[in-house]
Amino acid sequence: MQIPIIITSVAGILMILEYFFPMPDAVTGFNVTLRSFVAIISAAALILGTVVLSIFHVRKVGERKSEWMYSIVYVVSFVATALLGLGSVRNEIFLWIYSNMTSPIGAALYSLTAFYITSAAYRVFRARNWSAGVLLVCSFIVLLMLIPIGAILLPPVVPIGSWLRNYPSGAGFRGMIIGTSLGVMGLGVRVFAGRQKEHLGIREEKVGEQ
Amino acid sequence: MSIVDKLLDMDQRIIYALMFIALAFPILFPVMLPMDIQDYSRQAFDFADGIQAGSIVIVEGGLTAATYPQGGPGLVAQIVHMLSNDVKLVFFSLGTEQNVWTATAIEAALDKLPAGVSAENGVDWVHLGYVPGQESGVAALANNIRSVLNVDYFGTPLNSITLMDGVNDATAFAAVLWWGGSEGSIPWGVRQFVTPFGIPMTGMCTTNEVPNYTPYINAGQLQGLIGGVRGSAEYEYLIKMPGPALGQAMATNFGGLLWAVLVILGNILYFVKRTQEGG
Repeated sequence: MQIPIIITSVAGILMILEYFFPMPDAVTGFNVTLRSFVAIISAAALILGTVVLSIFHVRKVGERKSEWMYSIVYVVSFVATALLGLGSVRNEIFLWIYSNMTSPIGAALYSLTAFYITSAAYRVFRARNWSAGVLLVCSFIVLLMLIPIGAILLPPVVPIGSWLRNYPSGAGFRGMIIGTSLGVMGLGVRVFAGRQKEHLGIREEKVGEQ
Repeated sequence: MSIVDKLLDMDQRIIYALMFIALAFPILFPVMLPMDIQDYSRQAFDFADGIQAGSIVIVEGGLTAATYPQGGPGLVAQIVHMLSNDVKLVFFSLGTEQNVWTATAIEAALDKLPAGVSAENGVDWVHLGYVPGQESGVAALANNIRSVLNVDYFGTPLNSITLMDGVNDATAFAAVLWWGGSEGSIPWGVRQFVTPFGIPMTGMCTTNEVPNYTPYINAGQLQGLIGGVRGSAEYEYLIKMPGPALGQAMATNFGGLLWAVLVILGNILYFVKRTQEGG
């Protein structure tokens, strides 16, 4: 079990060192190879994901599990687009399917949020107390700043909205970024020290751990 | 049930219908209202406009079917802008879907180019295609392009592409134009291109993500940021090439105002009800 941890630690430390310090060509070359591995493994993971998903849906159809008919839609769509796409991703029919089916569905799903957000805001976005009131006023100012005509209708929203975005909001996001980064650094140290083994497929019970 | 209760309990289908009308009307019947240019968009445009002719710029195309309507028109406008200024473009994408949309944007831009502008594939621009590995893929690309790619999107070997002659890593690029959409990848560009190589970068994200990247602008790691469809519309406006984003930005005017009116109405009704109940 020590060997995978050592490999992980050496690879990670070399990557970090190369990022911050000039390193010998041998280290740089090794890191280039490692990054190529990541690219290859990521591409392979896509194929693996597709295969696993397809097996799941084929089984679902075979066993007539609930809502199995939707799995037929998946299987038919997958086989049709895969056959066309494997020939060439610039195949005319493949691109037609993508442009006229996948694309409008994706865009429609994303745009539905406008409807849900508006309905939810009408029902629950209330100035029930001072904190909610401040949130409401700030959201109005930022909304008016963001819509193109807002600055024309009410010019002060631009400086006030920019201040809100740059200082209170910016400070919050900066804190989040720094906090996340520190968390990642901490996780990295734990991985290198062999204290965190989830990346090796080992899930340890936390109960009773000192 | 009082009128206040009825209004507070308004059928959500009515709200959906109102929102649909507010968004569809300005698209079906274009209404051009005055528009103010945001500072982040102006900075992004000025930065791109200042890139020297003949320079090579790397463009990350991260738009998908969901985000292309927001960012696509802006990306098309920037491609036209850059090629018109004789700036060479090297495109890549971090997802298989994004890869297709980057190609779509390039095609759309080539159709809109003014007469006489050179836009030969392999000479003025090249689409490297899909780079797997997310941030590690970006790092690999920045450090050694040929370690992750041997051929471009069209299957042409990189070594036989004129524009890629001598382009081996990030040091070959004068700037990074990162059209991340909603993939949240802008920090990857900052960490792998800006910090280690000192290459200036601008970004594009969806409107809701603009606050996420404000710290990067304040820190000088991003030279500008194009936010959502309004950012795209502003880019179209600034290069004097009116396109679909301008019409959609007008729709956001009506949609945004309807949202504001409904929230104000909801709060007035809430206070009326609370007063009636003696709360």
